[in-house]
Amino acid sequence: MDFINPQVVDLSRLQFALTALYHFMFVPLTLGLTFMLAAMETVYVVTGRKIYRDMAQFWGKLFGINFAIGVATGLTMEFEFGTNWSMYSHFFGDMFGTPLAIEGLMAFFMESTFVGLMFFGWDRLSKPGHLAITYLVALGSNLSALWILIANAGMNVPEGAHFDADTMRMQFDSFVHVVFSQDAQAKFVHTSVAGYVAASMFVMGISAFYLLRGQHRELAARSFRMAALFGIISSVAVITLGDVLGRMDYEKQPTKIAAIEGLWHTTKPPYEPWILAALPDDEKQVNHFEINIPYVLTPLITHSFNQPVIGMYELEEQAGPRIRSGIIALTALRRYGETHDKADLNLFNAHQDDMGFGFLATRHAPNQDVTNIPADQLDAVVKQTQPDILPNVFVTFWSFRFMVFLGGYFFAIFAVAALLSLKNRLEANPWLLKATMWSIPLPILATEFGWITAEAGRQPWTVFNKLPTFLSASGHSTGYMVFSLAGFALLYSVFIAAELYLMFRFARLGPEEHGTHHDETDALLSHFHGSHA
Amino acid sequence: MTLIATEELRSMKIFRLAGLALALVVALLFAVFVGDQGPWYFAWVIGTVMIVLISGAGAVLLDAQEDGVANTEKLS
Repeated sequence: MDFINPQVVDLSRLQFALTALYHFMFVPLTLGLTFMLAAMETVYVVTGRKIYRDMAQFWGKLFGINFAIGVATGLTMEFEFGTNWSMYSHFFGDMFGTPLAIEGLMAFFMESTFVGLMFFGWDRLSKPGHLAITYLVALGSNLSALWILIANAGMNVPEGAHFDADTMRMQFDSFVHVVFSQDAQAKFVHTSVAGYVAASMFVMGISAFYLLRGQHRELAARSFRMAALFGIISSVAVITLGDVLGRMDYEKQPTKIAAIEGLWHTTKPPYEPWILAALPDDEKQVNHFEINIPYVLTPLITHSFNQPVIGMYELEEQAGPRIRSGIIALTALRRYGETHDKADLNLFNAHQDDMGFGFLATRHAPNQDVTNIPADQLDAVVKQTQPDILPNVFVTFWSFRFMVFLGGYFFAIFAVAALLSLKNRLEANPWLLKATMWSIPLPILATEFGWITAEAGRQPWTVFNKLPTFLSASGHSTGYMVFSLAGFALLYSVFIAAELYLMFRFARLGPEEHGTHHDETDALLSHFHGSHA
Repeated sequence: MTLIATEELRSMKIFRLAGLALALVVALLFAVFVGDQGPWYFAWVIGTVMIVLISGAGAVLLDAQEDGVANTEKLS
């Protein structure tokens, strides 16, 4: 078997990580701001107070800038699966392609159509009609995210599909099972409400800027109040769903949860500390120092006081029989490909669940061929493959902690902000206004850390326990990958710069006087919508 | 003439009621199905509606607080 150059695999990973991280700077704000706009417009329709229409229009313009650039950065990613991950696309295309195609339809037809109506329909639609459109924009953008997360959940917990020995790829057993998988549900809600948190901080921060400068008080105080309440409930929801996801990882992705918690050895409940901070050493497989909180880990992860969490040493040991079984599966599959003998197919099916572990062993097999390993070398191949089942512990451990620490901070700041806003004491506490203003980028950062935790923790697989990452990439040249990576980095940096420039510009410009419009803003939005459509 | 108009009004009311009843049945079926098959999806729908409403209520409360202050100032 000829391997794809490891450098090309690393560059493909870097390119995908870069484009995904860039894209995800825009997504959370879109997910959350749409529902905040809907909330503002709901108050406008119910109370008839014009200030809420102004609020919806002002924040809607900032949303429009973010939405347009967000769509532009997302476009390339859909093609990247085919160009840079062709082996993965062949192997998992049925499972992954379907939700991705539905997402494309959602984003381009439902979301974009209604976005146009939302921006340009203020004076053309009835009040309830326009409100319905705004809700449909919110629903459309969140449903787009839903299909992406269903696809992603399939990579992390590939249920509802099986490998077909005749077509040599994963095929659907049940679409409903894929859509309603527990992992997909929890991932979607966690990500969606993380977007609500990002949008709340964004609205709160810019409102704080106006309150500190004594500008646009009527709009800023109302926006701040709504965002603070939006944020406090959302941050509780994010924490709750984070806990649900942790519990699911414990059941379905034990290597990820062990890496997240820096657990090299299986725990002994009930006493087992939660590691607050440590320096995990992937080479020596130890933590160099630890700051612990006793008794917290077992109930936190297992939701019980008596179940252990399996450590990484033990997971490596447990992988041994699965690697042997995977080698049998691949040997039977190869024979079946040549003979089409039912006995080979039956043998393959009996070991199919471990096939991915057989793929993992190919790097260590003589001539990279697991189907012809001499009996005296089998033990050595299995032994060499065992450590490969673990993700990068340092990265997974710390990205998770940064996300969690930031999540705790958001809860605290939203709680204080909501309380002071309800007491109408915001201006008396400028420290809070300054803190919220400087906290605007932090929820975006937290979602990036969350994505790194989920995806770095899934390694060494693209499809968990089924297909290793080093077998998933396309066979490009290194030069091609370096060139395209540099191109993406440059292009996306321009997008970020444009977004920041426009956001700062329009935030500083502030809301219009009641009932008037900035021609410049309308022209810009018209241009974005035109170019997107 | 008036009798026909009243009849039309009555049948419109019946249609509207039937429509609302149908919407209610669909909503209940949706809640039962999604609540059973997709509890977190259901929680997201309910939770988002709740977040939007509470956030909106906060803004209306601010209006009431400011109106109250303005009224007090006027009276004094």
